[in-house]
Amino acid sequence: MSSSRRSRQASSSSRISDDQITDLISKLRQSIPEIRQNRRSSTVSASKVLQETCNYIRNLNKEADDLSDRLSQLLETIDPNSPQAAIIRSLINE
Amino acid sequence: SSMNEEFLKKWQMGLQIFSPSIDNTSVSERKRAIKLSADVAMASLRKGTTCWSRALIQKTATEDNFLVRQMLSGIKEEPLINKKLPKVMCHRKIVRRSKKILMRRKSRSAMEEVAAKKLVKKKTQGLRNVVPGGEFMSSNVLLIQETLDYIISLQTQVNVMKSIVDAAEAGIER
Repeated sequence: MSSSRRSRQASSSSRISDDQITDLISKLRQSIPEIRQNRRSSTVSASKVLQETCNYIRNLNKEADDLSDRLSQLLETIDPNSPQAAIIRSLINE
Repeated sequence: SSMNEEFLKKWQMGLQIFSPSIDNTSVSERKRAIKLSADVAMASLRKGTTCWSRALIQKTATEDNFLVRQMLSGIKEEPLINKKLPKVMCHRKIVRRSKKILMRRKSRSAMEEVAAKKLVKKKTQGLRNVVPGGEFMSSNVLLIQETLDYIISLQTQVNVMKSIVDAAEAGIER
């Protein structure tokens, strides 16, 4: 008897989180440019959305990394006393 | 947007704090400082309310405790260094047991549904690997909520950094 009670509780709580997950996955679908721009986005499966999300996050991190690279290269190549340096400093200082 | 502005302000503050090391060191050290200040700035926007932001602060603090504390004090967010991460909940045995009970009563279409859910579980593991603190998010609902917030924050970080770097490079070519 107690096991059936437990299974009923487990199924009702999993039903609630299933709805939540479906809702969250559709929000994810809206956030990933690749999927959003595809006209048939409503047919994209949940697992594809999750896969694309992983890829998207990796790409964003790589982009931030590349941008840090470019900025550090910029600071390396300019003469600290040049007007170009002043421009950069005004951009990265308040 | 105000999130862009807040990120920019905090990132600039971090760059100023790190600028002695930015001016005098190697390119790779400089890049590390730039990336570190961008990550701390991004994480601090959430003021410790999300798991990923707390995990990211802890990760950067592991890489350079002194610099991160300096920056957090500069942007007046010192408490963030102490924000705890949730304990990992080892509830796999209980979940397996209740699933076995459920399976016995389900129809074939419900079994297919279960198989689809297994595939989703596999993919969510991939998410746990790319979202900071993912290993501490035992619930899939929490994981996806955190992922959504992390993506918005990453987009902010990349957009602002891109505008600054594009403008700086354009300034140099002139």
